[in-house]
Amino acid sequence: MDVFGYEFMQRAFWAGGMIGIIGPLLGVYLMLRRQVLMADTLSHVSLAGVALGSVLRLNPALSGFAVAVAGGIIIEQLRRSYRTYSELPVAIIMTSGLALAVVLMSLRQNLSKSFSSYLFGSIVAVSGTQLKLIALVTAAGLIYFTVLRRPLYSLTFDEETAGISGVRTGLLSFSFAVLTGMTVAAAMPVVGVLLVSALIVLPASIALRLASGFTAAILIAVSTGLLGVFSGLTASYYINTPPGGTIALILLLFLLAAISLQKLARLKRRRRQYRSPLHSRDTVN
Amino acid sequence: MILSSMRNVVFGYGEEPVIDRLTLDIEAGQFIGITGPNGAAKTTLLKLMLGLLRPWSGTVTLNQEIAAGGRLEIGYVPQQVASFNTGFPSSVRELVRSGCYGRLGLFRRFTKEQEELVERCLRQVEMWDYRNRRIGELSGGQKQRICIARALAQEPQVLVLDEPATGMDAASRAGLYKLMRHYVSVHKRTVIMVTHGQEEAGSYLDSVINLERREREGWTCLVTNSCSVRFGQEE
Repeated sequence: MDVFGYEFMQRAFWAGGMIGIIGPLLGVYLMLRRQVLMADTLSHVSLAGVALGSVLRLNPALSGFAVAVAGGIIIEQLRRSYRTYSELPVAIIMTSGLALAVVLMSLRQNLSKSFSSYLFGSIVAVSGTQLKLIALVTAAGLIYFTVLRRPLYSLTFDEETAGISGVRTGLLSFSFAVLTGMTVAAAMPVVGVLLVSALIVLPASIALRLASGFTAAILIAVSTGLLGVFSGLTASYYINTPPGGTIALILLLFLLAAISLQKLARLKRRRRQYRSPLHSRDTVN
Repeated sequence: MILSSMRNVVFGYGEEPVIDRLTLDIEAGQFIGITGPNGAAKTTLLKLMLGLLRPWSGTVTLNQEIAAGGRLEIGYVPQQVASFNTGFPSSVRELVRSGCYGRLGLFRRFTKEQEELVERCLRQVEMWDYRNRRIGELSGGQKQRICIARALAQEPQVLVLDEPATGMDAASRAGLYKLMRHYVSVHKRTVIMVTHGQEEAGSYLDSVINLERREREGWTCLVTNSCSVRFGQEE
């Protein structure tokens, strides 16, 4: 196939495939823990890290990665202080991250082109180092979610009962925040800061509508994520559109299709019930 | 044997304490009811007992020796547990099975006995027929029942229920009290239950801790039967 003729496209498919697995997987837990904006927030924090790396002449990808992880940890600590207003820490960190990114970016005017690749995502932005980083995060995430699937289920369902039944909720929440930071920072080169949460949230939204069980939700989210990333990357190559935006739009179309199909199925089911002989007899009598 | 001891416990949410110098011993192997009007600090008392809240002063100790050579296993059904996210993608059976996770650890597979335990717990709360339903599709009372089944599947030495009969009809409430009585009498476990229906549950209970609010004096505890409670006195 033409699309795989270039090395940068092969790298993009590898990176996209890996993020397409770990992003939606993380998204299911984030949505159920009502922390869906955390991904968006950490992507802004990560941008501040990229800017900081540029100013300090460090590797921007690695500094963005480190700052996103730190952001995840701070949100988790603030979440414990603001138990009643759980959305507040996310808002505080998002504002701080964005403010810091804008100020730091203004210090290095000539870097606007590099920043735009982080903002909107770019296939060519996926370097060999970033690909290794994504592979590392995906492997760590898969091990994490496989080994800790049982305590994570309990934590996600109800943190209080999980704690009493012996789950180390503090440590688990902390590690989850670190993994979220890592995943967001790793996903940035593929879909960009502005759309990173789309890849995490949209497949999970589809899965939570359709799945009847927890394992099914995870499988649907991951399959949708992979399909969205691969079709989005292919489409963006042929019609020359930004990959991040194309992937997000395709996932949005999947979500709309899922909602429509679900409504249609419900309508059909109701009609069938309404026309059933038992129902007719009941209503006539 | 004493399960839980509270000594001169003071706790509050603002400036004033809602529990002031409470001394309380809870015996193991009993079905204990905690009653009182709204805002009488019933849930606060439970949370202090479970270590979910830390007292301003005083001590709370849970007797770990009750557990036969291991960690004291506590099954907890909080007040708001049935108001979980209705979109949570889990079947009834999957949720009740998660009660066994503590015993299974991270990797051990479910045994035949554990599958039978899950079935038994679901049958005990009359929810076996709903085992393949998505939990979000259930009514409030049904959600409450599957959360109780999940706590039972944990096979805890102590079962702590905070207003478990919320949303249940009279027959289901009677069934629940009967089941808890059986759990205490036959399986020799301890059940601590916050309830508004003292009249209904009274005949099933071994002890009742009745919390009453007394203005100026703060909060006071009255107790019947074998729970020993003092209030407002230094040890």
